[in-house]
Formats: sequence, C-alpha cells, structure tokens
Amino acid sequence: MSARTALHIIGLIVAAVGVAMAVSGVVALVYSGSDALPLFASAVIAVLFGVAANRLTARPKDLTIRESYLIVTLAWVSAAVFGALPFWFAGVASPLDAFFESISGFTTTGASIFPDPGSLPRGILFWRSMSQWLGGMGIIVLVVAVLPFLGVGGMQLFRAEVPGPTPERLQPRIRQTASILWRVYVGFTAAQAVLYMFGSMDWYDAVTHAFATMPTGGFSTRTASIGAFTPYIQYVTIIFMYLAGVNFSLHYRALRGRPQSMLADEEWRFYTLLLSIAIAIVLVAHLISGTYGTLEAAFRATAFQVVSIGTTTGFATADYVAWPAVTQGVLFFLMFVGGMAGSTGGGMKTMRLWAALKQGVVELRKHLHPRAVVVTRVGGKAVNEGVMLNILAFMLLFVASFIVGSLMLNALGVDLVTAAGASAAAIGNIGPGLAGVGPVENYAWIPGPGKVILSLLMLMGRLEIYTVLVLFHREFWRR
Amino acid sequence: MKVLIVGAGAVGFTLAEHLSEEGHDIVLVDQDTERASFAQDQLDIMTIGGNGASLAVLEQAGIDKVDLIAAVSNVDEVNLIACMSAAQFGVPVKVARISNPEYFTEAARLESAKQGVDLMINPELECARETYQLLQSEAASELAFFAGGRVQLMGLRVQPEAPIIGRSLAEVAASVKDRRFLTAAIAREGQTIIPGGDDIFQADDLAYIIGESKQMPLVLEMAGYPEFRLRRVMLGGGGRTAVYLAEILEDHGVDVTIIESDRSRCVKLAEKLKKALILHGNATDMELLEMEGVEEIDGFVVFTGSDDTNMLASLLAKSHGVPKVVALINRIDYIPLVSRVGIDAAVSPRLSAVNSILRFVRRGVVVGVAALRGIEAEVIEFSVRAGSDLAGQTLAAIGFPDDSLVGAITRGARVLVPSGDFALAAGDKVTVLAMPDAVKAVEKLFQ
Repeated sequence: MSARTALHIIGLIVAAVGVAMAVSGVVALVYSGSDALPLFASAVIAVLFGVAANRLTARPKDLTIRESYLIVTLAWVSAAVFGALPFWFAGVASPLDAFFESISGFTTTGASIFPDPGSLPRGILFWRSMSQWLGGMGIIVLVVAVLPFLGVGGMQLFRAEVPGPTPERLQPRIRQTASILWRVYVGFTAAQAVLYMFGSMDWYDAVTHAFATMPTGGFSTRTASIGAFTPYIQYVTIIFMYLAGVNFSLHYRALRGRPQSMLADEEWRFYTLLLSIAIAIVLVAHLISGTYGTLEAAFRATAFQVVSIGTTTGFATADYVAWPAVTQGVLFFLMFVGGMAGSTGGGMKTMRLWAALKQGVVELRKHLHPRAVVVTRVGGKAVNEGVMLNILAFMLLFVASFIVGSLMLNALGVDLVTAAGASAAAIGNIGPGLAGVGPVENYAWIPGPGKVILSLLMLMGRLEIYTVLVLFHREFWRR
Repeated sequence: MKVLIVGAGAVGFTLAEHLSEEGHDIVLVDQDTERASFAQDQLDIMTIGGNGASLAVLEQAGIDKVDLIAAVSNVDEVNLIACMSAAQFGVPVKVARISNPEYFTEAARLESAKQGVDLMINPELECARETYQLLQSEAASELAFFAGGRVQLMGLRVQPEAPIIGRSLAEVAASVKDRRFLTAAIAREGQTIIPGGDDIFQADDLAYIIGESKQMPLVLEMAGYPEFRLRRVMLGGGGRTAVYLAEILEDHGVDVTIIESDRSRCVKLAEKLKKALILHGNATDMELLEMEGVEEIDGFVVFTGSDDTNMLASLLAKSHGVPKVVALINRIDYIPLVSRVGIDAAVSPRLSAVNSILRFVRRGVVVGVAALRGIEAEVIEFSVRAGSDLAGQTLAAIGFPDDSLVGAITRGARVLVPSGDFALAAGDKVTVLAMPDAVKAVEKLFQ
C-alpha cells in the first residue's frame, strides 16, 4: 500500500472541493460580502494542494482493497479539513469548530456550532449547504462518475462509500452506474429548487435549501430553519426529504417508466410504513395534549419533524424538545432507522432493520423446529448467511459506537440525555439531537474533545462504520 | 401406426408394452444394447442399439416412415434433439419427455415455433399433479378424471365398518336417489371382477367407482370414510417431484413440511419454496417425525429415490395414524403390492408419463385414458362421432366385450349412468373400463 496512490486520488478530490469553494466565492461576490476573500483564498489553497498532490504522484494501475478503504476515509477527512478553511479564514469559527462544521456538512449531518446562522455572510452559508450537497451522493461516487480510469478499483471505492449492505449495479460499467445516480440526484435537486421558487422563495434560499434536502443534510440559512418559511415550502420540503430517503435505484427505475417497481419493493413498503406509523403516534399525542390549534398545523409539524428525523435530514419547523414525552421517544428511535439502502439518508438503513427483523422471525421458527433449514428472504430473494452476519454485525457496531460515544460525552460532563441525543444524531448523520442539542440549540458549547468524538462518529456513520473501523484493525497495517 | 420410441428405460419400456398390445408397430432405440435386447425379448417390437439423438441411428430406425416419435430417454437434451431431427424428416407427431423445468418453458417456445415438439411430458410434474389429486380424498388409491373433470374414476378400499358391507350392488344402487355413479370393477384377493347387480360388497374390497365427480363425497360416505380436509402435508425427500407437489400444495393453502437428508439440497429447497418448512433429516427417523407432530398431519408423501425407504417411511406414517399416505414406487411391478400392505396409494413419475403419452397418442375418438395400477385394467373415454353406427343404438345391442363395462356417459352438461337399454347419441362421451384383452375390441367399436 503506498501513500502515493492515495495522494493521487485524494488530490483530485481536494481540488474539486476547491472549485466548489470558488463557486461559493462567486456567490459571495454577488452579494458583495466580506466573505469572498476567505472563500477564494481557501479555494486557491485547496486547488494548489490538490493539483500538486495529483501531479506529483503516478496514476494507480489498480487498487488493493486496503488502499480503497484508506483512500475513501482519508478523502473524506481531507475534504473536511480543506472545507473548514473558509469558516476559519472568515473569522466566524475557531479551527476546531470550523472542522466540526465542515465534517458535519460533508457527512450530511447538519449539526452546527453556529447559534445564529442567519447572521452569517451569504457566501459562507452557501458553502455550508454546498458541502452537504457534495457529501450526499458521495464525493467518491462523483469522482468515479467523472473519471474513466478507475474501472475496477472504482467498484471497491464505490462499495466503501455507498450506503447499504450491497450496492446495486444499474449498468454494466461502474462509471455509468455512478453517473446515473448523480444525474438523478441533480435532477431532483433542480426540481425542488424550482418548486421552492414557485412558493416565493428567492433563488438563493431555494438553491441552498435544495442543496441541503436531497443529501438529507439539514443546514439552513435561517436561524429558524424551514420554520421561517410558508406552509407550502414546508410541504415541499417534507416530500423531498421523503424522496431523498428512498433508494436512488428505485428512483431511476421509476423515472424510466416503471413506477410499479417502487410499490413492489419490500424495503420501500417498510420504510413508508415505519414513517406512517411514527406520524400516526406523534399526531395522536399532539391531539391528546392539544399542542397545536388546528389539525392541519398539528399534522404539518408532525409530518415535518418525523420525516426530517426519520430520513436523517435534520431540518426543523418546531422544537420537539418541548413536545410530549412520547413523541421524543419515537423521534429518538427513528434516529437509528434512517433511510433506505442506496438513499442519501443515514442511520442503520431500513434494509438492515427489515432483514434483521426477518432473521428474528426465522430464529423463532428454528426454535420451534430444531432441525429446520430456513433461509431469510428479503424482497423474495434469499439472503445468504454471510450477508446476514454482515448486517447483524453492522447493527451491533452501530449501536456499540453510539453507546461508547454517549458514555464519552457523558464523561466530559454532558448530561446523559444530551449525550445520548448528540451521539445518536452524529452517528446517524441527523444533526439535531435531544435536550441541550435539540433543534433550537447548537453544538458550540460541547467541550473540544467531545467535538472530536462527534466528528469521528459522523464520519463512521456516513461511511457505514466498516470503512472507517477497518483502519483500526491490526491486519490493516501489516505488510 | 408406426411408432418410434427413444429410450428403453421404464417409461420407454412400459410405453412400448402398451402401444404394442394395442397393435401399433414399435421401434425402440436405446444406447444401452443390453436394455434394448431385453426389451426385444419381452415384447413384440424391433429394437436398435444406438444414440437416439443421432441422425444415422434415426435413419436406421426408419424415421422417414414413422407416424409418431416419443423421445422418452432420461436425458432432456437427447429427447429434444431427437424430436427436432424427426421434425426435419417430417414426422407428424413428436412427443418429448422433458424434466428440467427450464427447458419446459424454453420448449414451449419451440413448440409454438413449430420446430420440434408437439407434446412435452414432464414426468415429475405429472406425478406431482396426480399425487395432489390423490391427497384430495382420504380414501382414493387411484383417481382419474374425464369429461373435463365432471366424470371421475376412483379406486377405494371398502372400510370394515362401511354401511354397504354385506349388501348387493343392486340393493346399494336402489338406495340412492338420482344415482349417477356405478361400481365398474372390484379387486378381491388378487382377482379382478367386473361385478353384476347381485355381487355383494365385502370389507377390504378394492372398488373402482365411475361416476359424476359431484357424487363422490356420497360414495366415500357409503364406503365408510369420514369427511376429509387437507390442511397439513409432510413430504419425505426433496427431489424435483416433491418441489412440484409442494408448489401445488402451497398454492392451495396447504401447510407443507419437507424432510430431506441432504443438507445442501435443504438450503436449495428453502430458497425455492416460500412457505414450506424444510427439515434436515431422514423420512424414516421416528423421533423427528414425532417431534414434528406426524400424528396431527393429514397426508404423508414419500418421494425419496429408494423404493425401500419410501415403503418403510409410509408404513411408519401409517402406524402413527396418518389418514392418507402416498408413496413413490419406481418399480412398476411393486405397485399392486402397496395397497395390500396398507399404504393408501402409490405413484410413479414414469407411469404418470406413460399415461399422459397414451392419452395423447389415442386422441381422436379416444378423449381420455388412464391405466390403472391396482388392477390390470384401463379406463378409456371415447367420443361418439357424428354419423357413427353407434348413434341411436342401445348398449345391449352394441354388445360390449365381457371384460369391459360402460361406466358413465356425458351428454352436454349431464352425466348419465347407463343401463342395457340406454341409447347412445352422437357427441356423447363414453367412459369405459376395460381389461387388457378387451381394450382392442372396445376401441374397434368406436372407430
């Protein structure tokens, strides 16, 4: 394994991040803000570093599995480091806070250290949303889609980054698959921005919020998040958050004229059922407690918060920390579920939960019939034992990481509910947690080491745990 | 008719035997010269040793003069190629035995393209269907359907406490209002009789009833069988036939348990079958059967590759009080034995295949045919052609052979039970039971 191989590809990604920062710099110029200079400076540094790293190293012929994992993890850390520069240069955050904000953006978490985002300069806010948009479909997938030379190695990188147990190939070539996914992603983002503008949003708010919705990110340019906009905007957001949590392969098939493939998909039905049940429970709780004056207001607030947390987006129109206790329990458990496999949503993914539930039923059957040979079937197809163990181990590692994260935050003096909420929100890539890190609070007050822990959890959540954790395995470093 | 049969295995041999007895000229081709010459010794046919898929061998067998080819070797590919070659020689009717379900759908496409095969016979599927029919009633050891299912032949053993024991056929017949069934044959102590009105029912008689399907529940009641509903079935052995049967049963909402001794086969079954419970073990493992509640099941079917295992497992199940036990028996000569030791019914994919081919070969005046297993007899369904001499004549005047009996007549939507003065009409479908030596004479009547 050579560091040169890694640098070659990481250089490309950092340069791409630099270009995106330059675009944000242009936006800053349009609004003649003071943040244009920091953005351009960061862009120049990133592009220079990226190009140099790329030019000074040889193009890799093929990638070993270990190289793939290293490249993917390092690429995300590097993107976050260079992406943090504008916040620091603009003087709105300390280096650590800037890194936290940046990695929260790229991992589509949306946890912020800014108490009042509305007061930040527009170029910086644009960059914040854009980092989420880049992270949503995946910076590696973007590179795979654009660069032809990563033929075989590309699949390994792809697998290490795409959410879900087994990524699906839509076309014979991995590059075609990656490019289809990106096109669907861009298409939905554009559609959402246009629908926003019909609802009297200006282009700036429309684009930034569309940038933060499709990746299930959750950064807003307003301190009150989507709550600052009209009910129409809120409904549009609910719909697109829901769509972002659906497997993009299904979107592709539906757009190709086979919408029935969505209805036939077991995981889709589970995902939709789960969200519907959560909405029903929370709505009933509201109707009993009388939190909202009208049924429409209660339904809108309920659907918004449930879909936002359930798809791991993290936008808010209400402070659910002040809601009846049961609703917070429902939202907290939704944090672990997340979107469908192959969506931009975080969490454990409905596919894994569904498969594990089915495995549970199978185990019951085995208890009744000790000699039975039973296979677990998901979507009509048998799941082989290897994949099932992978899924169960993933869920175990996910929950274990959440617990360790909560305990460490707790040890740093953060109260237990806040610590648990923050840990779940970080590893699930959601953003707002519970209590002290609820939707109207922020992460600025978390102690420094806590921010480092949360950053690691966000990265683990986005890269599906294994990709990050293998780097800590002894054999990974053995020659 | 000149018939070329490819494959002298159990199917080919039995088919050759039946067709030869019916007066057809048979050429039998098999690669195994020993098997071919054995067939030549036993039957009045010509045999050729060689590959049935080879053009040279087919030409040697005189394929250009053949009216029908039945490719029934146990290799699907050989059968398909033989039929395709025969098509090139202009053989009018081509029948292939195809076991692999993948070819089965593939061949359906070939069929439509008029390239090769007129009839696909899948022995395992035919056998599974037949087993499913047998499982429908506790009593039936044999079942065959005619006139699109409206007429049924059922073989059943008369129970010791049945109400009809000690009464004559005529008495029993008189006691039923609007009767539309009759007793066509009785097997008693190894002998088959075509009964008359004064014969008396005895316990353990194997009676063959022909009649309207709707009246069969009444027949079962009179033969001493309680009402029966199939809810749970256990299958021993998870081969192809078992998979077909399990699929049919699943489709009809019956709970299926399969016991299979090969672990990797178990996994395949579990992947293939959506609802069935797959157990890894032996069909003769008493402990396993008891653990899985063999006492509570309605039917037990054994389809393993070994006749011995099938018989033993069936007897075990019967001793645990399973109402309906069906065993797959490959040795056709063992089949009559099965019902004598207390197993309810025996099936064989080979015999099922032969039946289907015979039915197909005789189509024309013959609408349906079933070779019985418990007794040496066939049930044949004829249609009375328009302009036939038979139309308008009474059964007594026609003079059916002694070893045959008209069981039922389907006229339009009605099923009629004949008497001597019953007059046939054109378009009637006539179901006749005939002993082997009477088959030809009966067929002649309808030609």
